[in-house]
Amino acid sequence: MDDDDLVARVAAGDDTALRELFGRHAPWLAVRLRAVLPAADVEDVLQETFLAAWRGARGYRPQGACGGWLWGIARRQAALILRRRGPFTPAGQAGAALAAGLPAGPDGSDPADIALARADLEVAVATLGPEGSPDREVWRLMYEQDRPVAEVAELLGVPPGTVKSRAHRVRRLLRAALRVPEGGMW
Amino acid sequence: MSGLRNDAPDDVDLGRVWISVAAQVWRRQPGWLERTAGRLLRSPGLARALLTTPSLLLPWLLTSVVVLAAGAAATTDIGQPLVALLAPAVAAAAIAYSYGPGIDPAWELACSMAVSDRMVLLVRALAVFAVNAVLGLAASAVSAVSVSGPANGTAAAVTFGWLIPMTAVCAFALAVATVARSANAGAAAGVAAWLIIVLSGRVASGHFASAVTDTVLFLPYLAIGAGCVTVALCATRIPRGTL
Amino acid sequence: MNVEITDLTRRFGRNQAVAGVSLQAGPGVFGLLGPNGAGKTTLLRMMATVIPPTTGRLRLLDRDPATYGPRREVRRRLGYLPQNLGYYPGFTVAEFVEYFALLKEMPAARVPAAVATAVERVDLGGKAKAKLRTLSGGMLRRVGIAQAIVNEPELLLLDEPTAGLDPEQRVHFRALLRELGQRATVVVSTHLVEDVGAACTQVALMDQGRVVFDGTPGELTARGTEQGTGDAPLERGYTAVLAAARA
Repeated sequence: MDDDDLVARVAAGDDTALRELFGRHAPWLAVRLRAVLPAADVEDVLQETFLAAWRGARGYRPQGACGGWLWGIARRQAALILRRRGPFTPAGQAGAALAAGLPAGPDGSDPADIALARADLEVAVATLGPEGSPDREVWRLMYEQDRPVAEVAELLGVPPGTVKSRAHRVRRLLRAALRVPEGGMW
Repeated sequence: MSGLRNDAPDDVDLGRVWISVAAQVWRRQPGWLERTAGRLLRSPGLARALLTTPSLLLPWLLTSVVVLAAGAAATTDIGQPLVALLAPAVAAAAIAYSYGPGIDPAWELACSMAVSDRMVLLVRALAVFAVNAVLGLAASAVSAVSVSGPANGTAAAVTFGWLIPMTAVCAFALAVATVARSANAGAAAGVAAWLIIVLSGRVASGHFASAVTDTVLFLPYLAIGAGCVTVALCATRIPRGTL
Repeated sequence: MNVEITDLTRRFGRNQAVAGVSLQAGPGVFGLLGPNGAGKTTLLRMMATVIPPTTGRLRLLDRDPATYGPRREVRRRLGYLPQNLGYYPGFTVAEFVEYFALLKEMPAARVPAAVATAVERVDLGGKAKAKLRTLSGGMLRRVGIAQAIVNEPELLLLDEPTAGLDPEQRVHFRALLRELGQRATVVVSTHLVEDVGAACTQVALMDQGRVVFDGTPGELTARGTEQGTGDAPLERGYTAVLAAARA
């Protein structure tokens, strides 16, 4: 039974499908959330995520992106829980940052939010392909390491035109990947 | 959910997360009637036990309504107060099917519950009796309009008088059902007893309705009723050992 | 001590089902063995406050269940699985467990989580909303276990709980017993001698209404080294003790 079928059954009110979905996806969601939140918050977020999935499965459009859909819900729930913590004072952020093991942002933005955004980006980059593949290399050299086109072309052994077109595709793919959780009903 | 722990971070308890999700997904939302009953009785368990009474479920109630309505309709043709004669039998069957070892497959377990089985008996029996009394009165009121003719007793006696024999017959049905551990036996006994009473009334005084209208009988009815209730209470106090 | 029984008897007409039993049990798993008609079920029923004793002293959870108030308190902290438990065909697994949770006067707010926990603990998570009439005998038995444990009882009484369970489910069940026995007193009445040996910390053997052995499974095994018959050590102890008691 693939994920799309499971979600369709959840939408029809089948609780065993939700249970199966939980078994498949909760572990990796927990891992990804744990990178940015303390364990107790991860549990809260997961609980709210799957309850939201139970209530809102009808809004899911089957496109094989069940994982992205769930991560989108999780991300939103994480943001809600963080926002519920109250107004963000600098001391509060530092405290929260220490608790989460992250450095506080220089402009006072919520470090957990930054971390979530970073996690989102990692997911999106992963859609470009496995490490070492052409698109990933272009991303790594041009955007992570900030090298000019000519240098990247030399390092990869391809003409600059190819680099430019790959960069164009990478940007397009990333935009699409980052937008997927935003689609649907949220 | 044993496969969960392997992939997840050590300090995240996915089992507990699933339980909290399942608690919401599997929960039953009681209806307004049950919630009101729970507040009145100050016990949600007792309310649930009351609303799952077999003879208070919709199919049973509809059947009773149909039977009594037929009685009311037929009264005009036959000239006998059919509702007054039918209502006690209908109620007796309902009482037999409300409570006890004859009707509850989990009876022994129910006897170990904090909400005691006697409380459930009391509440169910009263509710069933009240519901049947109301149904009977409604049907009776409808048919009293059309009852006319000689020797049917006063209108009031016909409209209300059957409540007392109904009490006796219900108590009898309940006693038999609990002693014999069979709802069918109780229903059959109640209906049969009522039939005998009605027929002997006919034989004695020439009217079917005398079972209902003869006020001399009221005290004996009530005495029998009290006796049967006592029997039922005793029979439900100690479930017989070798069940 | 959660269970203190002194010289308990129970008579039905002329039959003495329980003829003078004295037992004590604290937290842990307590096995009750014996042939058919030995009085195990009657003893369990008295501990479940379903029937009162004829004579003798019974103290459950430090209370005397003879009066209404303490009996109700005991029942709130009690879990009972009768030998023959019927079911309501139209109820689902969750509804059945919830019904008895409510009848045990659990606070309504705690009921949904308790029901979910109990259902998952007996491995019926995939059947929570299935109607009882669609379940097999072994599953129904597990539903019975779930209603018994839903209120996290301090005293759990199980009469032939493994009837209908396959060996794998029995292993899972024994693990559950050990887990429950850490905080509560679990009394298990069973025919299956080896079932008992694996999970119990204390064992009593009943015959004709009396207790003829009360000790650890190891001690029961030891009784069988000379004279018992049977394929397994506990079985030999069992038969040896019975033979001695009847001699």
